Amino acid sequence: MTNTKNISDNPIVIKAPVSKRIVRPILRHVWLAFLSFIWLLPIIWLFVTSLSGYSGINTSHFFPETWSLANYKKLLFQPDTVANFPAWFKNSMIIGIFTCLISSIFVMMTAYAFSCMRFRGRKQLMSFSITLGMFPGVLSMIAIYFVMKMIGLTNSIVGLIIIYSAGSGLGFLILKGFFDTISGSLRESAKLDGASELTIFTKIVIPLSKPMIVYTVINAFLTPWMDFVMAQLMIRSKDPRNWTVAMGLYNLVQKTLVGKYFSVFCAGGVMVAIPISILFVIMQKFYVEGITAGGVKG
Amino acid sequence: MEEDKISLRHYFSSFGTAVKNGNIFTRLSLIIMGLGHWANGQIVKGCIVTAVEAIFIWVISLIGGTYWPKLNTLGTVQREEKFDPLTMTKTVNHFDNSLLILLFSIVGIVIAFFFAIYYIYNIKQIYEVQKRKEAGLHVNTFKEDCREMINGKFFITLLGLPTIGVILVNVIPIVFMTCIGFTNYDMDHQPPTYLFTWVGLRNFKTLFTSSVSDSFGYVFIRILIWTLIWAIVATFTTFFGGIFLAKFINDKRTKLPAMWRTFFVITIAIPQFVTLLLVGKMFGNNGIVNGICSQIGLTGFLQDIGLVSKGLGYIPFLSKPGWAHVMIILINIWVGVPFQMLSATGLLMNIPTDQLEAAKIDGASERQIFWKITMPYIMFVMGPSLVTSIIANINNFNVIYLLTTDFTTTNMKFANSHGKEVDLLITWLFNLTNNYSNFKMASVIGIITFVICVALTLLSFSKFVQGDREEEFQ
Amino acid sequence: MKKKIVSLLLAASMVATLGACGSSKSTDSSSKADTSASADSTASAEDPVQTLIKNTSGTVKLTLWVSETDAYQKVMKEIVDNFKNEYKDVDFDITIGSESEANTKDDLLKDVESGADVFAFADDQINELVKAGALQEVSQTYTYDPKEVDTDASINSATVDGKLYAYPMTASNGYFLYYDKSVIPDEDAGSLDKILADCDKAGKTFGMELSNAWYLYSFFKGAGLEATLNDDGKTTDCNWNSKDNDPTGAQVADAITTAAKDKAFKNLGNDDQMSAIKDGKMAACVNGTWSSGTISEAWGKNLGAAKLPTFTCNGKQVQMGSFSGFKHIGVNAYSKQPGWSMLLAEYITNAENQSKIYEATGEGPANKADLEKASSPALDALNAQAEFANPQRVGANFWTPGNSLGQSLAEGKYSDAQKLLDDAVKGITAEVK
Repeated sequence: MTNTKNISDNPIVIKAPVSKRIVRPILRHVWLAFLSFIWLLPIIWLFVTSLSGYSGINTSHFFPETWSLANYKKLLFQPDTVANFPAWFKNSMIIGIFTCLISSIFVMMTAYAFSCMRFRGRKQLMSFSITLGMFPGVLSMIAIYFVMKMIGLTNSIVGLIIIYSAGSGLGFLILKGFFDTISGSLRESAKLDGASELTIFTKIVIPLSKPMIVYTVINAFLTPWMDFVMAQLMIRSKDPRNWTVAMGLYNLVQKTLVGKYFSVFCAGGVMVAIPISILFVIMQKFYVEGITAGGVKG
Repeated sequence: MEEDKISLRHYFSSFGTAVKNGNIFTRLSLIIMGLGHWANGQIVKGCIVTAVEAIFIWVISLIGGTYWPKLNTLGTVQREEKFDPLTMTKTVNHFDNSLLILLFSIVGIVIAFFFAIYYIYNIKQIYEVQKRKEAGLHVNTFKEDCREMINGKFFITLLGLPTIGVILVNVIPIVFMTCIGFTNYDMDHQPPTYLFTWVGLRNFKTLFTSSVSDSFGYVFIRILIWTLIWAIVATFTTFFGGIFLAKFINDKRTKLPAMWRTFFVITIAIPQFVTLLLVGKMFGNNGIVNGICSQIGLTGFLQDIGLVSKGLGYIPFLSKPGWAHVMIILINIWVGVPFQMLSATGLLMNIPTDQLEAAKIDGASERQIFWKITMPYIMFVMGPSLVTSIIANINNFNVIYLLTTDFTTTNMKFANSHGKEVDLLITWLFNLTNNYSNFKMASVIGIITFVICVALTLLSFSKFVQGDREEEFQ
Repeated sequence: MKKKIVSLLLAASMVATLGACGSSKSTDSSSKADTSASADSTASAEDPVQTLIKNTSGTVKLTLWVSETDAYQKVMKEIVDNFKNEYKDVDFDITIGSESEANTKDDLLKDVESGADVFAFADDQINELVKAGALQEVSQTYTYDPKEVDTDASINSATVDGKLYAYPMTASNGYFLYYDKSVIPDEDAGSLDKILADCDKAGKTFGMELSNAWYLYSFFKGAGLEATLNDDGKTTDCNWNSKDNDPTGAQVADAITTAAKDKAFKNLGNDDQMSAIKDGKMAACVNGTWSSGTISEAWGKNLGAAKLPTFTCNGKQVQMGSFSGFKHIGVNAYSKQPGWSMLLAEYITNAENQSKIYEATGEGPANKADLEKASSPALDALNAQAEFANPQRVGANFWTPGNSLGQSLAEGKYSDAQKLLDDAVKGITAEVK
């Protein structure tokens, strides 16, 4: 918080009349509370519905009439022919971790190459990458499927990891923008000390970019938990044990199942939030480190 | 453009020079690629290069031999099966699969293309080494070459794997789907049972003339306009919303910033499709919000002032054009702002402090600092990503698809082309391929969307993409 | 050494091919023998199966896609186990997958070759499945003949261009009327007007998804207007805009709008209907057997089911028609085990197992004998509706324009019914491109 503290430490506030000093902060917090309320409302609804004693769909009440933990019990301990949450969770976790690792590394690599290195064709390559990203993804899905079939990776977790992470190199723009702001003289002096580009990349640029890398990592980790279209196409198996969380949960709200599984679906949504929230908590630490790094840099 | 031409000419002329002036080993490297390296004492490198060549020849003989000859027709032998009721077995002829012919041919062409680049590079490199050797200069050992890969040529190491990935899941699929636009791959020509073949520009004509149904062009234009409006509005609302929210929470006067931030971040933790389905249900014609609105009399009020037609007993939040358009944008703000807040928070914490200090010493007000230092800094880092965000929003499938499942258009022109007023091009495409197996028209629409995206980007964002301002902050 | 191996391999393959030729020849001759001595017909029917068993070596891997509901999965597991016992000499590895019958076509056509060997699907998909070459024709049957034991309607719905492409399994995938007896007396359930009046009186609602052409069809069909598949197997023939029919298309449209304007009439999808029934807001709906669990839970003893009611059109009462619905078992044309797949499909759909499926899931069998035995409020209602029901034979372009027509009629926001119908029919009958 050091930076922002410094910014707002300005004379206007100090000179303001007392009423302003009291009313304004209250208004500020009321406004924030209001926004939070709006943002949390659907989440609260999800949560209370997951605790509903009635397992079918009920979209016209906010709070359930009866409360129970049965949905969680069913989800976690009673896998059946359509809902096998423990297996989905395991699959998504594996996919999430590997996708996150590979694509974060890919993004950092391309961002560094485009930001910190100079080579022939660099700008053309950048423009080309950005252009590639404009092609409608949904359209190329079927082609990706057959490419994967060609190398025998349909219906497998490995195939999904490849699909989610292979193209990630195209998403370098934000991180590149950030690398651009890292002082060039820092790199130059390191080079004079005999450091290789690899050393500069791993020892200087990456530690300085933690906040943005945290953002990249989180984004990469989220992809496989959110995607159901590609997963449905790639995973041909109809055995719930081979599905991902997104696929499985989406399946629960189809016509024949929604009447029996809607609250279970909600419970699943809440359960997915757990690993992602844990990730956020861990990453918060790096945010703080990012601040100190920023201080050194300035 | 002119520069490109010159550099391209230089690219080939230096190759010519290498071949012309190279010694016998350099020239022989045209056939066995590692030969020149061996002659110059680079044994390991020579072996690797030769191995690459061998693999290439093996792959290309497999693909080229089987698929390239059929590329011009995309196959001629249709599948025929004969079931023998007595042995209960089936004999199937040796049939062509148009889709695989096209796909493998493209894979072969892509491989050949990259090999050609490497081939030319290799000859030039051998020529360079030959010249160094002739001049009595030091020739890199394999170890030194390797070291070079993490130093001067580090970008090759860095970009190698990501490039292969992009070729696999982006380049090949894109080339393939583009080709589909020039074939008749549709419900009547579905491989593997049936063949499809090239039809030239017929599908493009179909899009702009009236032969599909008289509304295809009509729907295309309208969906395109909404797609562009959506992409721009959705991007900017979430972008600025996120920055302001981050600024607001990180302000010194805000108590418990971590708590507030967590409130918003929680919404990211739950998969988008779960929350979108729920929010969609909340705003459904029979959902909670409509229940509350009719209880407090809002529905009646809106009917009185004419915003809701009297015939409907509900507010058509997500079921009427206009209403649905606005709601989708609002819900997208709900979905997108926490993400933007997160990245903006990371940035706000890293604004170079020296600039801020200097501004403060000069007596700049908080507002001035925000607009003169913070915003330009954020725009510098995030600006280029705005381009990608807009494109991501053009292709934003989830939000629209999940929120408009219950939307039924009453405009027959849309219906006759299987579109909806709230469809983006991407959801329309998905519907055409998924429910009607109409790949050829989906591909044509995709190509045109792509061309429009590229044109718009080049026009309005060339500054960002070219990276003219890269050095500004350094 | 190497040469020896090569020659050995060559010899082995030659033996194999020779053997193959030999065996096919021998079956040829045996078939001739059979036809000449047709006295023992059962023996000749058994023969191919015995040949298949003899020719099968190693594990037979099959994938079966059936409905994801618990009841279906359980009964299918039992049936598959029995199937394995039936052919004890063969080693099977049969995987049962969960796949909603409504999605089978979409999923299968993405890549036919990697689809299930045997799969269940809703009969409305049969045209497109056949057109994509995904279904193997039922050119020969071995353990029983569907054409003899299943109802004509179900066979009809599994037939394309005079060829049977699937094995009928259940015959209850159509829709009918559910009503709450405590609100709507039995004698009122025959008329839409009375149902709506009763609902109004009790402050409850009637649900029907008008904005789905599948349900909308019932009004037009009832009035004698048609939507059927043309001979080309692609386009739809539709005369919903007819001016010559009595009543005319426009009159039917007006009748629908009049009904939909009633305060009790709710144009709601399946989810919303279930939600409203659970809340006690809805007292009647047009829905299918897939909802019977939720509805009977909510209404209990008061659950009533009947054929669709009549509606008032041009001053007359007109009986609503409907689409009948079937679930079939199909064999993938790309199955590597066509013989075993066909036998499994036959086994699942034979009389004994159809009644097993009925007992487990409550879905009415397609088998004539079983259907007579089966009885539940839902099935009786479907049975009563049967004479007004048609198999679903429409082209791909029927749906979106039809849905939109339904939505427009439900909202009643159109100035000229004839023009609306003309536009819709233009879309429905458009060429598929």
